[in-house]
Amino acid sequence: MTAGKENVDSGIPLLTVENLQVEFDTYGGTVQAVRGVSFSVDQRQTLAIVGESGCGKSVTVQSIMGLIPTPPGRITAGSARLRGHETLGRSTVGGKQIRGAEIGMIFQDPMTSLNPTMTIGDQIAEPLQVHRGYSASDAFTEAIRLIELCKIPEAAKRARQYPFEFSGGMLQRAMIAMVLSCKPSVLIADEPTTALDVTIQAQILDLMQELQKETGMAIILITHDLGVVARMADEVAVMYAGKVVEYGSADDVFYHSAHPYTVGLKEAMPMNDPARQHVLKPIDGSPPDLFAPPAGCGYCPRCPYAMQICSERQPQGHNLHGHHFASCWLHHAKSGRKPETIFFKDAR
Amino acid sequence: MWLYILKRALQGIITVWFIATATFFAMHNVPGDPLTNDRAMTETTRANLESKYGLDQPITTQYLIFLRNLSRGDFGISFVQENREVNDIIREHFPVSAILGVLAVVFAAIGGVLFGALTALYRNRLPDYLIMFLVILGISVPSFVVAALGQLSLVSLNTLMGFTVLPVAGWGTVMHMLVPALVLGLSTMAYLTRLMRSSMLEVTSSDYVRTAKSKGVPPTRIFTRHQLRNAILPVVTVLGPAIAAITTGGFVVELVFAIPGLGRYFVEAVQQLDYTVIMGTTVFYGAFLVFMVILVDVVYGFIDPRVRLDL
Repeated sequence: MTAGKENVDSGIPLLTVENLQVEFDTYGGTVQAVRGVSFSVDQRQTLAIVGESGCGKSVTVQSIMGLIPTPPGRITAGSARLRGHETLGRSTVGGKQIRGAEIGMIFQDPMTSLNPTMTIGDQIAEPLQVHRGYSASDAFTEAIRLIELCKIPEAAKRARQYPFEFSGGMLQRAMIAMVLSCKPSVLIADEPTTALDVTIQAQILDLMQELQKETGMAIILITHDLGVVARMADEVAVMYAGKVVEYGSADDVFYHSAHPYTVGLKEAMPMNDPARQHVLKPIDGSPPDLFAPPAGCGYCPRCPYAMQICSERQPQGHNLHGHHFASCWLHHAKSGRKPETIFFKDAR
Repeated sequence: MWLYILKRALQGIITVWFIATATFFAMHNVPGDPLTNDRAMTETTRANLESKYGLDQPITTQYLIFLRNLSRGDFGISFVQENREVNDIIREHFPVSAILGVLAVVFAAIGGVLFGALTALYRNRLPDYLIMFLVILGISVPSFVVAALGQLSLVSLNTLMGFTVLPVAGWGTVMHMLVPALVLGLSTMAYLTRLMRSSMLEVTSSDYVRTAKSKGVPPTRIFTRHQLRNAILPVVTVLGPAIAAITTGGFVVELVFAIPGLGRYFVEAVQQLDYTVIMGTTVFYGAFLVFMVILVDVVYGFIDPRVRLDL
């Protein structure tokens, strides 16, 4: 509706993250959780960040939101710009609060993400009171409207209930209603459907898409479910060991996968297609220790196509076509290999 | 809600009956009886007294008489302090103990929540270390030491100022109550501080506080609206037993500060095997505690909606 309309002609993306680096001090040493992540997302676009547990997906988005506790966390380099304005280390952009007003976030487990001793309506109303200066009763009325908007039946009654009286799917709807209350220009969804069962997942994703069409907000979707990615994403960033290893449009990443890790992820995905005798192929091994990140490519020990150089030097990013990008030595002119012949053109 | 309160009240009555029965048989199994003392007593006098108090009856009959009187709220007359009804003793001295106890509980609860929240907010920094050191002291040092030290410091304060800032002992005005109540509530306050600290830390790292942050709620509002109410739940839970500990533990403090509370009678009666006073004070204290625990549980329902509807 209103989100980010000044951005339409300016040409710069709504949100740009460049070379973000985040470290955590722990008893065991310093973990380099995010090691130079860049991506951008425009309004009405959905960017999916994919990767296995511990690859830095959540840390990346929480850094943008300023939700990383410091200490132990530390953003050592990089920038995140909303309409060209830096957000890192700041709480407002152009007079608007980043958290809640500009960027909204929903979380993985709706059961624990809402305050158990506060009514759903009050929790949805809270951002309106904080950011828009609504009175308590006006905010509550608006909250009921938002609950209706998110397709929860009997909104007025439900608004007066507590989280324990809601099912998981309903809670996630309430979370979405809460985040939408101040019409953020970016919605970050950190594994929003992981804790829900499959039919509810679909409903929640539909709801998110519908609301995106209505409000024009950008969505950053964190997930490790490639099915969700295929359904939702315009662009995909595949993360591994704190880095983006492949980045591009959903079609490029799925049908012209250009990184061995992406290929590995696809082969490890179950498929409901009896015509194809698809045997699940897990990726052997485990991600590298980020206390001491490897000198070369992080995926090298698990990569079936690894070469000498892979363990010695960081691969450079290669722009393949358009803005499809992969960070892999196989694309280097001197590798002597033709990546097209290595990777499946169409794994699906 | 009303059904719940009724249910709890019935449970409470059963509890009190159980306390009364256990005390009754325990006291009658102690060697000796209230009429055994230094005063010379002829066999006839003794027999007369025994029949007057019903001590010559079989113990089951005595028990039934006791229960019948108890149901009427009549605890009888003291054996030792002649012509003094147990009800009078309670009526005269319990309010003193109750005011002291309630004041102590209020001190303990407010102090515990406040200091607990403070230590959690300043975790691993100076205020945290300082308060936690005092907490360990408060838990470890017994109340008679704290009471004596408290009194001593009052004396020093009064001499230093040259006039009576706070009275050293006795009872009557609010001034008399402050220091004894503080001393009485100290160990409970220390305990509640620890509880509040850990519960506050748990809440601070919870998902819903993170959600509140992501909504852009300012820290003070997060503290009052999201953290405090959830963190306070475990504290409210132990408040019932804490009231028990404070009211029954009041004896020492009452003695040191010369406060005419019920605690003294409670203890002296046991030493003198004053059956009626023991029974009266024990059952009364028991009933009082049961009532307080029910009250705390009902209050808990108002703070935690999950408990409210489970009833």
